[in-house]
Amino acid sequence: MAVNRPLRDYGLKSERVLWRGKGPSSFEDEVEGLEQRLGLTTLEKAVAWAQTKSMWPDTFGLACCAIEMMAIVSARYDIARFGMEAFRASPRQADLLIVSGRVAHKMAAPLRQIYDQMLEPKWVIAMGACASSGGMFNNYTTLQGVDKIVAVDVYVPGCPPRPEALMEGIIRLHERILAGIPPAYEVRGVAS
Amino acid sequence: MAILERPAIYEGTRIPSPIPTVLQVPDELREGGDILQVNFGPNHPSTHGVLRLIVDLNGEEVVGLEAVIGYLHTGFEKNMEQKTWWKAITYPERIDYVAFQNNEYVFVAAIEKLLGLDIPPKAVWMRTLLNELNRLHSHLVWLGTSGLELGAISMFWYAFREREQILDLFELVTGYRMHTRYFQAGGLAEDVPRGFYPECRKFVEWMPKAIDDYEALLSRNEIWLERTKGIGLLSAEDAIALGQSGPVLRASGVDWDLRKAEPYLAYDQVDFDVPVYPNGDVYDRYKVHVDEMRQSVRIVAQCLDVLEGMEGEPWIVDDRKIVLPPREELHTSMESLIHHFKIVTEGYRVPEGEVYVAIEAPRGEMGCYVVSDGGPRPWRVKFRGTSFVALEATATCMSNALVADLIAIVGSLDTVMGEVDR
Amino acid sequence: MPGYVSEKEAHGEQTVVVEPGQLVEAALHLRDEEGFSFLSDISATDYLGWGQKGVAGYIGTTTGRDLNRPAAQGFQILPELKPKRFSMSYHLLALRPGAPRLRLQVWVEDGEPVPSVVEVWPTADWHEREAYDLMGIRIEGHPNLARILMDDDWEGHPLRKDYPIGGEPVRFSSEE
Repeated sequence: MAVNRPLRDYGLKSERVLWRGKGPSSFEDEVEGLEQRLGLTTLEKAVAWAQTKSMWPDTFGLACCAIEMMAIVSARYDIARFGMEAFRASPRQADLLIVSGRVAHKMAAPLRQIYDQMLEPKWVIAMGACASSGGMFNNYTTLQGVDKIVAVDVYVPGCPPRPEALMEGIIRLHERILAGIPPAYEVRGVAS
Repeated sequence: MAILERPAIYEGTRIPSPIPTVLQVPDELREGGDILQVNFGPNHPSTHGVLRLIVDLNGEEVVGLEAVIGYLHTGFEKNMEQKTWWKAITYPERIDYVAFQNNEYVFVAAIEKLLGLDIPPKAVWMRTLLNELNRLHSHLVWLGTSGLELGAISMFWYAFREREQILDLFELVTGYRMHTRYFQAGGLAEDVPRGFYPECRKFVEWMPKAIDDYEALLSRNEIWLERTKGIGLLSAEDAIALGQSGPVLRASGVDWDLRKAEPYLAYDQVDFDVPVYPNGDVYDRYKVHVDEMRQSVRIVAQCLDVLEGMEGEPWIVDDRKIVLPPREELHTSMESLIHHFKIVTEGYRVPEGEVYVAIEAPRGEMGCYVVSDGGPRPWRVKFRGTSFVALEATATCMSNALVADLIAIVGSLDTVMGEVDR
Repeated sequence: MPGYVSEKEAHGEQTVVVEPGQLVEAALHLRDEEGFSFLSDISATDYLGWGQKGVAGYIGTTTGRDLNRPAAQGFQILPELKPKRFSMSYHLLALRPGAPRLRLQVWVEDGEPVPSVVEVWPTADWHEREAYDLMGIRIEGHPNLARILMDDDWEGHPLRKDYPIGGEPVRFSSEE
């Protein structure tokens, strides 16, 4: 969207009429700044902006972290303000896989299947200590970190992480996308 | 135990045979009709976690059912054998991750039974209060998610609003919202902080109105009644044979609650009722949960009355061989320093023996079987997960069920997959 | 009681040991005659290496140390030896006031089967499958003895004492 002439030229003279000698108001400065920003929008920046504003997560709650993930959907830590309250049950309709909980080796195959079924671009948040690294369960049956089978973008530590901590992880993911960093599977290959 | 006078829910037994936990398609149906085998896979929005159900459908009717579990098996029991008794207390909390303090308590109670400790009254009452707050938390999560699955999405928001208040109380006392690790062998980890009792009072005054809200939303709601009345019948004899306990057993007409039958903590000193309903259907399980929430609020209020008069009392037992000394003493007393070092690095020793402790967790009888060899580490710890046993009843409840009822029934059994797979 | 071997009372709990061959008769006797209609739990325990680590034993009590017990602080105190490698404990409960509990125990060696009590208490189904899956105790007469918590093609029985804890060594960033 390119704006040819400043809005000042279209009107917005009322303040000057009433108050001779007054300089541009803060509103006009903001408008000018906005025009300059929007005037430089490229397609990629617009696409990145759209991707972050309604990134739909997949229902992949496994264990305790899933309860805190449900808490960010609830009213106090409302995730709907980021446009993410629509948790899709089908991975084909989801953009974000929040792996919340410990992953047993038996569950690793379904996890990989769900990840494969998601359409690109897709992002993965490893929520909690168990998804990031196996957590306190360093044993025969727990996958020591979900990044062994999927490519993870953001790791959120905690056992379980507070809803605010998960929200910080989500916002950092948004900032990565807005900065232009590609999703993890492009950076690291299909699995790291 | 009394079984209520009730209409005969069904004659005889509905437990399938030869395998009690698998509903098998009768042969004539398999040859004649078209049976569709559907996989309710581990990743499903309505199965309360990673449960896999292999369901055979004849049209809309469920004629075959098998539950496959193990997708969350974390090896708790083996991990706990590697840690000292003190460090192992963090593990049981994650087993039933919704009623975490009940799990902590059952393991700590087993250690205390082996040690033969006398817990100070302040710790007893505080543990009772926290266990009941946890019961409220667990029932709220159940109510919210059950409502969500059956379409009553508003239930989720209301239940989680109160849940946030309970988690604020936990954070005030213990410093963390979930998985609080507040119980030690011998009492509590730290004294009750200032300001907790007034906050808990405010919550206790608010909660009954919130429960009234939930009942107003669901109890006489026509859609809820249609979807839950007469669904998932389980008779008292079948429930006992299948080892059910807790709300499922009480909704089938059996008046059995470990808090009354085998009182532990301060439950013999508080006044509360145990709700029992005669028809073993999903609606009765819902009613049992809601009534239990009201009783829990009563218990919390009574615990507060007692605790407010207990300022300055000890919160942990005096035995320095098991309990860390207060930090101020470490500067002046050599014995305190040595004991602190030995308890933290090597761990305290628990006498040889085996015990089984069972409590009334929100889902039913949660048990912990501990074998000690006299050393600083447990030899064997086994948790009787309530949900593990509750899932065995899915096949029995599922006779004459439709696909839509499947979700209601599995939800009403109140399973948490962490307990099932451990 | 059929198959009775011994009984023990400790920590307020009663344990009755029976012969594995007569477990089902003992179970029926307990359920029908004594009223233990509720099976809480079946726990399998592996006692391989029991008493060999030489733990010093409990040092003190809440009321003081027992100074008259010989060798109270050395490594001479060993826990009492167990008859066989595995024990299967059946925790029973009678649903009447007073909540009487009983632990029914059988002892078996590696490879010796234990008869199934599914006919007596249907809830034993999954508990016995778990004992087979995680401990490797073969249950005879079970209608569906298959792995329940581990993968179907998993080799080994994880909760045995000779099965390693597994996992990975933890890497520290200063080592790189």
